[in-house]
Amino acid sequence: MNTSNTSENPHTLPVPLHIDRSWLDQLNNRLEKGGPWGDWGLAQLAIRGEEARLVTSFDELQCLKHLQGLSPLPHQLDTTRKVLFEMSGRAILADEVGLGKTIEAGMILKEYMIRGLVSKVLILVPASLVLQWVRELNSKFGIPAIAQKKAYTWHSDIVVASIDTAKRDPHKDFLLSQEYDMLIIDEAHKLKNKKTTNYQFIQKLRKKYCLLLTATPVQNDMTELFNLITLLKPGQLGRQGDFATNFVVGKRQPKNQEQLKDELAKVMIRNRRGEGPVQFTKRHVTNVSLQLSPEEQALYDGVTAFVKDEYRASGGNLSSMLSLVTLQREVCSSRDAVFLTLVNLSKKIPDESPLTAKVWELVNAIRAIKANTKAEKTIELIRQMNEKVIVFTEYRATQEYLLQYFQKHGLICVPYRGGMNRGKKDWMMDLFRGRAQVMIATEAGGEGINLQFCHHMINFDLPWNPMRVEQRIGRVHRLGQQNDVKIYNLSTSGTIEEHILHLLHEKINMFEMVIGGLDVILERFEKQESLEKRLVKMFLESDSNEEIRQKVNSLGQTLDQIKQQVDYESETMKEEEA
Amino acid sequence: MSMSPQEVQEHMMTYLESTECQIIEKSPYHVTVKLSPQADRQLTGRPYYWGFVDRTGAEPETLSFTFVFDPERYDQHEQEKTAAARQQDHLLSRYYGTAPLLPQLGPGRIQREDVTYGSARLQQIWNAARQEGFCLYLFEQPPSLQRETLFSAPYEPWLGVCFKAEMACDMKKEELHFIGISLVSGQIASPFPDRLKGLTLSPRLPENVHIQPATLSLDAAAGLLESYLTGKLAEMDYGWAEQAKERLKEELAVIDIYYEDLLKEPDEEKLAAIREQFASRRSETTWQYEPKVHLSAITCGLFHLRSKG
Repeated sequence: MNTSNTSENPHTLPVPLHIDRSWLDQLNNRLEKGGPWGDWGLAQLAIRGEEARLVTSFDELQCLKHLQGLSPLPHQLDTTRKVLFEMSGRAILADEVGLGKTIEAGMILKEYMIRGLVSKVLILVPASLVLQWVRELNSKFGIPAIAQKKAYTWHSDIVVASIDTAKRDPHKDFLLSQEYDMLIIDEAHKLKNKKTTNYQFIQKLRKKYCLLLTATPVQNDMTELFNLITLLKPGQLGRQGDFATNFVVGKRQPKNQEQLKDELAKVMIRNRRGEGPVQFTKRHVTNVSLQLSPEEQALYDGVTAFVKDEYRASGGNLSSMLSLVTLQREVCSSRDAVFLTLVNLSKKIPDESPLTAKVWELVNAIRAIKANTKAEKTIELIRQMNEKVIVFTEYRATQEYLLQYFQKHGLICVPYRGGMNRGKKDWMMDLFRGRAQVMIATEAGGEGINLQFCHHMINFDLPWNPMRVEQRIGRVHRLGQQNDVKIYNLSTSGTIEEHILHLLHEKINMFEMVIGGLDVILERFEKQESLEKRLVKMFLESDSNEEIRQKVNSLGQTLDQIKQQVDYESETMKEEEA
Repeated sequence: MSMSPQEVQEHMMTYLESTECQIIEKSPYHVTVKLSPQADRQLTGRPYYWGFVDRTGAEPETLSFTFVFDPERYDQHEQEKTAAARQQDHLLSRYYGTAPLLPQLGPGRIQREDVTYGSARLQQIWNAARQEGFCLYLFEQPPSLQRETLFSAPYEPWLGVCFKAEMACDMKKEELHFIGISLVSGQIASPFPDRLKGLTLSPRLPENVHIQPATLSLDAAAGLLESYLTGKLAEMDYGWAEQAKERLKEELAVIDIYYEDLLKEPDEEKLAAIREQFASRRSETTWQYEPKVHLSAITCGLFHLRSKG
């Protein structure tokens, strides 16, 4: 390309002028060869095309008319404008969960691309979200993004990759040698520690515009906030020392809130749920308590005794116990689930071991069970609502059983599980949207299934990890849901399940609180040990139902305290921002 | 600006007709077309297939598309059509039963694609048009009388260039300037399309005309066009650039303050790293904010026009 500054020109502009003279070379070249010559009709079309997409104004959003079938919400539009026209394309997007940060990032990217200011883009996200990002950018924004798979995919213009891949050799060196017009990082709160390789890698990447997406930007630590902003715009909050003296009292307590708020607003946008026009529908929770049939109860007691005996025999070794506790939870779900685990267990123990007899005893107990109390109740519930409903279970065997059972009773239902490939997942979702009344799912997280068209949900059994419960609810209770969401929790009284439900529902009220801070609460709570592990221990070591109840209560209190603390902090944040 | 479905269709038709595609069916909402080899090469992204055709000399089989410009009304229209078709077949189906409509597969399959203002296909059409319409060599076609006159008509060669000016800082604005210059007189026509209005242009040299010799070389003419255009650009309001410079200055100041202390680092090795970071952050910021104007050509060419007097 023949580019130069026209210094010989009598008129000088107050800004540098670059002239691309390659056209003249081409014209001379073709004159020499006598052609080939262009088509006048097409030349005129090219000019009209340029006119049609000419960006005639510095500050008017162009992307909307390019995006068919996307109707962004007012706060998303505001955010896009703000990032473009006030923040010059470097910002932290910190909306609470479910307000559509991806949509905002997509619109900002699209706008810059239309304006020809961005062509080379790197998007770094957690590995499990790579495909979801690619799909959204392609389908919603017509942006030809590519998931990074092989080394050569780095050469594509718009690449989505996991940060853990990107920072490793040999990719790292290549990426650091590039210049990116835009860098987008999802789940950016993971970049809070200056000393990590992730942080240093991102700091070294050469980028013009930069978006950091996070739902939980600052609750944990003031220095973490400082680090995140330094990544984006070093100096925005002053020097490290200045920041400490000006803004920080305690680790989690800011001072000079007014001033901090002003400074933050220059780089960070945080839209909240329940503010402005974005209204979420309500959640209605019904706990359905069931009495096990005598046969089922016998199996439950048998399994409980077996598990406790084993725990004592192993001398309190927790790690080998996990699969046994699973057994106990499975009894609450379906006999099929227990059976499968028992069979696997019997394969592992030697034939002459006394355990074999015990296991077979339990298998015989399973034989005695003729009906599944929960499944019967579920059918009854589904018949009552007579609308689309999603049923969640933890176990594959239960899923199979329910599929058969429902089909036998004339319900059209489809399965959904993590192991399915994307095409099958999409297909199942389409079937559910169309003919099927029921979807039976074992997995809720990871690549999102979005089921706004359905507002009934049955938890056939409950995961012990509250985040997974929230993920389940998030499938139906999200932006675009028109109706109040009805959640039914099935639990069998006098079992481990009852306690879990008690903890999740009554203690941390997790089904009704619209959660943005759950992950924060858990993160703090689990500094020592995971919630799941604690629960397991609790059940194994308690002798009576009463004892379990007490322990669960005190656990609930601890969680509640943390929650109040977090609420208080976010209230003060809110006041600052208001 | 945005475009109506009619305008999109018109752009599309211009392209399809200029590239000699075979129009199979057309309504106000759609067009079904079998692409010409030229269009297929540009639009379908099948370099391997075309490599195969070129090397083996096989008869090329181009793809067909149904481009839909107004999906809603097209669907409505189609439904009415199939409903009507069903009614007509009523008598036959009484004897033979209704045959379900099967989707057509294989090489005869016609892919449907909705084309609207923002769609990638339209951008692709424009880009293809730009490529195929670059570097022109055209003659004004005289009225039919010219052939019968005794004297040959003098034709004047013009250099015409459609420039795109991009004013960029952290934001951007664009302008198009289609200007021409006579290689004989050095006269500048701006906007050039005004001079071309009402003329029929074709690559064919008409009978009974002669081209006046150029007094300006192409390079010299190009220089004059450029300097004319920069003159015009110089008259623009540069408030945007001033503001961008102001923003740049502020941002740089913030960075300088942040690194001031850090640069006092005694450890040589650490200091080098900090210096590097400092320099790269500064250059990134300049890259982001610095105002500049970029000129490039959308199309260019020699236009031989009948001399006026």
